[in-house]
Amino acid sequence: MNRLGLGDLVIDVPGRDDGRALSLGVEPGQVWGVLGPNGVGKTTLLHTLAGLRAPRAGQVLLDGQALATLGRRQVARALGLVFQDRQDGFPATVRETALIGRHPWLSAWQMEGGEDLRLAETALARLDVDHLAERLVSTLSGGERQRLAIATVLTQTPQIWLADEPTNHLDLHHQTAVMALLAEQAAEGRAVMMCLHDLNLAARWCDHLLLLYPDGEACWGPRDAMLETSALERLYGQRLATAEVDGAPVFVPVR
Amino acid sequence: MLALVLSGLGAGEARADSRCAIDDRDREVCLEAPATRIATLSPGATELVYAAGAGGKVVAVVAYSDYPPEARQVTSVGSHTRVDLEALVSLQPDLVIGWITGNPAEQLETIEALGVPVFYIEPRSIDSVATTIERLARLAGSEAEGNDVAAEFRAGMDALADEYAAAEPVATFYQVWDEPLMSVNDEHLIGEVVRLCGGVNVFGELSRLVPRIDDEAVLAADPEAIVAGGMGEENRHWLTHWQQYPGLTAVARDNLFFVPPSLIQRPTPRLLEGSRILCEKLEVARGRR
Amino acid sequence: MAAAELGARPLLAGRGIWLPLAVLALAGCAALGLSLAVGSASVSPEALWAVLRGEGDALSRTLVLELRLPRSLSAFAVGGLLAVAGALMQVLLRNPLADPYVLGLSGGASVGALAAMLAGLGGAVITGSAFAGAFLSTLLVFGLAHGTGSWTPSRLLLTGVVVAAGWGAVITLMLALSPAERLPGMLYWLMGDLSYSRTPWPPLALLLIICLLLMPLGRSLNVMARGPLQAAALGVNVRPLEWTIYLVASALTAMAVTTAGSIGFVGLVVPHMLRLLLGNDQRLILPACALAGGTLLVLADTLARTMIAPEQLPVGVITALLGVPTFLYLLYRSR
Repeated sequence: MNRLGLGDLVIDVPGRDDGRALSLGVEPGQVWGVLGPNGVGKTTLLHTLAGLRAPRAGQVLLDGQALATLGRRQVARALGLVFQDRQDGFPATVRETALIGRHPWLSAWQMEGGEDLRLAETALARLDVDHLAERLVSTLSGGERQRLAIATVLTQTPQIWLADEPTNHLDLHHQTAVMALLAEQAAEGRAVMMCLHDLNLAARWCDHLLLLYPDGEACWGPRDAMLETSALERLYGQRLATAEVDGAPVFVPVR
Repeated sequence: MLALVLSGLGAGEARADSRCAIDDRDREVCLEAPATRIATLSPGATELVYAAGAGGKVVAVVAYSDYPPEARQVTSVGSHTRVDLEALVSLQPDLVIGWITGNPAEQLETIEALGVPVFYIEPRSIDSVATTIERLARLAGSEAEGNDVAAEFRAGMDALADEYAAAEPVATFYQVWDEPLMSVNDEHLIGEVVRLCGGVNVFGELSRLVPRIDDEAVLAADPEAIVAGGMGEENRHWLTHWQQYPGLTAVARDNLFFVPPSLIQRPTPRLLEGSRILCEKLEVARGRR
Repeated sequence: MAAAELGARPLLAGRGIWLPLAVLALAGCAALGLSLAVGSASVSPEALWAVLRGEGDALSRTLVLELRLPRSLSAFAVGGLLAVAGALMQVLLRNPLADPYVLGLSGGASVGALAAMLAGLGGAVITGSAFAGAFLSTLLVFGLAHGTGSWTPSRLLLTGVVVAAGWGAVITLMLALSPAERLPGMLYWLMGDLSYSRTPWPPLALLLIICLLLMPLGRSLNVMARGPLQAAALGVNVRPLEWTIYLVASALTAMAVTTAGSIGFVGLVVPHMLRLLLGNDQRLILPACALAGGTLLVLADTLARTMIAPEQLPVGVITALLGVPTFLYLLYRSR
């Protein structure tokens, strides 16, 4: 279960026409970036791909099987989702929070075992929050919580990563570390799709891009084909200046 | 051999002395011997057991058992709404007098489950006051005294009934409580007394036993006499309330009467005295026409 | 929540689940022992010991085995039911202020039970009617609070409080229309009172069954406590689980209400205290609530029946006196 297919998918954004149906495959090893202005449905798309909300038309396929026909547990073993905003639940420690990533892998009567704990500890260390393991989540800063959310999905060990603004709240160093982590996941044969606001991060780290336009139009393909300055200017309604730095294109909004 | 005969005699005596009575839940309650330790779970029951001549056998009462005065000396086992079962059981009663609508049914059932017979009472009429006394006296083995009291009560009530059988009707409002304003209907014991005295209860047709009403309803009914019980033995305030309505016939003729509530609101032999007072008051009202 | 906001770890978290449960079970046994030993009638320790060995005089046996024991077991069961119901509601709403009493479940169950009683029905019908009332209340509160937007603690609490007030009005109406001579008994019953309870076995059996049923759901509940979307993403079937919790909490509340009337705040205070001590793993908290809630109510009821004996207090008064300050403190701390 490591290939995510979008078959003539129309996401359900209230009050908007269908626009163009999405037909594409997120293959193992690929890193997809989803770009588009605010309110265009990026989060809705990721939630639809994770099976948390129904599409208006078309279907989501996990290795060719319709997502809607699979059990939630089965889906959760294949596919992990980093939420953009987190609902603050009951008090819980950082370690407990990372450990819930093991939920889809354990049977009802099973307690978390040593292996689960090891996975969680590794994930916390990888995201540089292991020193906070005993702290309550409600006491963390925004960036620390963001890294904890990613560590939780890492503990979940999905073959497909869906990440909604994974660099939210993060400082520059941790932004790069998180993008490197996602790229590494792809390099190990997993599929990654993420929504991004930062055009330059997308240009730097993604190999495929999906552009979502406010009117429901969409286009997608390999990064280099998509990074057309004029297309991006139309996407955001913003004039852009371009340059090349450190081997990657850089886009700067024109005043 | 002698012992055997003696014990046989004893058993025979017990059977000969066994006694039964039908309680107000229509169950036959039988005792092998007259009750010697009686617990009364309402102030009214206490008064009735004393009236039945078995006051000396009462070992447990509940709060507000204030009549006759000797009853105040008896151990209390809580209130009629919540009996302290432990305290009750520790006193080892051999008969419990329960109040059908006043005591928690669950607690009375528990007492029965523990093997203590419960005699349920709910005297709702003049006649049932007398029969309750007779039945309690039977269970306590004090028929001589109890039957006399019951007979005296019946005779007194019958005499009142005869005296006022042909009296002119008086439209009467009986006020049982002031806030909220409450009266009684014809089914109620007090309604029965009003009728016996030749009164016509202006709220007698209401369906609830103790209906809640308002001033307007009283003004519309325009009774010829207003009779009030009161809190404790005082009720000046209750009656002065009506004087703000000079248009009321009862106020215009000064027919505002007080009857001590303990004499008329409790289904006990003292009801005879209360009834006499009420009848006399209504007769006064007739004289003021 | 105080400790939680300061970032301190719960005192005993992470010690495994059996040690805390064993300690709570011991405390429960001690409370039951105490409740058997004290009462308005005095039973000496020797007499009590004789009774427990199956000997002793008839009066002591009656006092201990037929009056105190069933009542204490009822208290234990009701306390456990209410605490577990409270803990479930709190997980579901991710809000430590949720409680069957505050959210109107008890009110709905009371209305159901009173309606059945007024109609002259008894036994199982009262329980069924109480369950229907509790469930209707749940539907109302969660349906309305959910509305078009999302659940927020204040919105939910407000809806719960309003629905509870509505039930209060219905209860007052029913009391006003019921025969005057039944009023005192009904009022006392509404305050929550164990002196009217009969056999302890149905509530005890329900408590045990529900605890066993909830055991395998514990981890799913932990995930639910992070919010429904997160739970769904981690493989929880959110809707069925939510409905299970609603139904279970309604059943627990209805059984508690039919056994002992409406007793407030046990469902609020007990889970809260336990979370401060034991952390927030539902696999531990739920059975711990059953034990600690039972213990608390046994102690409260022992106080209620001995404090001013022979006059008996309704146990609901004692729990409310404990619960109201706790609730206000919680509300104050949670912004």
